[in-house]
Amino acid sequence: MPTPHQERHFFEIRKPVSRPQAILSAIGIWAVFFGVWSLAAHSGWVNALLVPPPEQVFSTTWDFFAERGFASDVLISITRVLVSFAMACAVAIPLGVMMGTFPSVEAIFNPFIGAWRYLPAPSFIPILLMWFGTGEAPKLALLFIGVVFFLITLIMDHTKNVRKELIETALTLGASRRVTVTQVVLPAVLPDIFTAMRQMLAMAWTYLVIAEIVASTTGIGAMMMRARRFLKTDEILSGIIVIGALGLTFDLLFGLLHRWLFPYRKETR
Amino acid sequence: MSEALLHLDGISKVFPVAGGKSVKAVDRVSFEVEENRICVLLGPSGCGKSTVLRMIAGLEDPSDGAVTLHGKPVVGPARDRGMVFQAYTSFDWLSVRRNVEFGMKVNGVPRTERRARAAHFIELVGLTKFADAYPSQLSGGMRQRVAIARTLANGPELLLMDEPFGALDAETRWHMQEMMIDIAWQENTTMVIVTHDIEEAIFLADKIIFLSSHPGRLKEVIVPEFKHGNRINDKEHIVQLPGYAEMEQKIMRLMREEGARE
Ligand SMILES: Nc1ncnc2c1ncn2[C@@H]1O[C@H](COP(=O)(O)OP(=O)(O)OP(=O)(O)O)[C@@H](O)[C@H]1O
Ligand SMILES: [Mg+2]
Repeated sequence: MPTPHQERHFFEIRKPVSRPQAILSAIGIWAVFFGVWSLAAHSGWVNALLVPPPEQVFSTTWDFFAERGFASDVLISITRVLVSFAMACAVAIPLGVMMGTFPSVEAIFNPFIGAWRYLPAPSFIPILLMWFGTGEAPKLALLFIGVVFFLITLIMDHTKNVRKELIETALTLGASRRVTVTQVVLPAVLPDIFTAMRQMLAMAWTYLVIAEIVASTTGIGAMMMRARRFLKTDEILSGIIVIGALGLTFDLLFGLLHRWLFPYRKETR
Repeated sequence: MSEALLHLDGISKVFPVAGGKSVKAVDRVSFEVEENRICVLLGPSGCGKSTVLRMIAGLEDPSDGAVTLHGKPVVGPARDRGMVFQAYTSFDWLSVRRNVEFGMKVNGVPRTERRARAAHFIELVGLTKFADAYPSQLSGGMRQRVAIARTLANGPELLLMDEPFGALDAETRWHMQEMMIDIAWQENTTMVIVTHDIEEAIFLADKIIFLSSHPGRLKEVIVPEFKHGNRINDKEHIVQLPGYAEMEQKIMRLMREEGARE
């Protein structure tokens, strides 16, 4: 007698889907998206000037890199993100860990940082332009301001979640407070710091585009604003695709780095 | 006869609680622990066992009274009083070997000596095959053995354990209890172990300190005379000894009295 099988429905509550089904579903939703886009562009439902068909956007994207030296704009944008993000991390990691470890340090900085967090970073653009002129400084400053306060708070919270027993174990083993922070608290929280950095890097890309659209002649955002002046919708959409692809790539790289640096966290992830 | 290594002299602990009030968790507890002996702190839940142990460890300051080790008052945590917690405390980013070496490393023990001592204590807790594994690859019982090896390898005068086997299943639990008896023999360790498991207390203890609840007071000091000073490392054997059942009953009665007072 064959073993009776329960019938499988499409709507199974919290049952994992098979890998083929997952892949098929993912392809499916994108196929629908490009299908609708293509149909809309070709059928004349929408103004072709405003919505160029997908294949035109992709060929423009290719053209950008191959013929028009778009790579240098992209490189400028990437550099801006990485430099300002590195500065933000250099401040946020030590400060966040200190605040999460020592209530006395938290008592000093938290009332200050807590307030800054609620100020939308773009509101600083006019004053940053006045202070720093039109060079790289105001863009880097905007990205820094947009990221650093959230990053500090996230890292502080993660540090507070390091279990008390781990710290007390170190102390009863004879570790000094400094050793306890550097050799127990820091390594314990490092995987979570990486996760916080990964989330905040996505935010850095958002502020980059704002900075470049508002106040720049170089970079991806500036290119898109130039394209708008000449009604080049395909170029604007190419810019969006490139920004999306970059964000995704950096996120994947961070994911890989996380798995490589913290293999012992694999089981829990 | 062995002399007392640790003295608790009328220690009390008052915790501040919400609303500006305070609660007395431990009230004038005094006892002593002799060298190379296993002392068990037993009592109903919430009676202040952990608080007493934490005061010995220096993780909590007594509100009154004093803890002295070798006649010197205890101030703050230090390597002479190693502590094993109920919750897992393995450093996940370090291999078993490096976990066990941690205390020695921060105390500046030279590398070769560190290696040798770590190997010895890893062997003692039966984890030699897993020396290079990471804690996330180990079972709960194995992780607790790492914590014990790590603490012992650091050479403390006193091993403090707060319900170290509380999170383990029954079988692993008695394996660990037997292991602790063997370790106490081989390594001449002085231990203070907190538990609320009566069987565990009788099996491990050379002396049981029974605390009453709210506030934690010394209710009775119980010495399992029926062991005649022997350490028995076989759980099956001990429950058959004459006197075991009486002792268990006596402690159960104490527990029940305390429970009724709640
Ligand atoms: N940090 C603290 N702040 C306030 N009250 C506390 C604190 N630590 C413990 N207490 C209180 O002190 C009493 C004794 O707690 P303790 O943890 O020492 O008991 P225990 O005997 O170890 O209990 P259990 O068997 O549940 O582990 C309890 O009433 C507890 O609520
Ligand atoms: Mg307790």
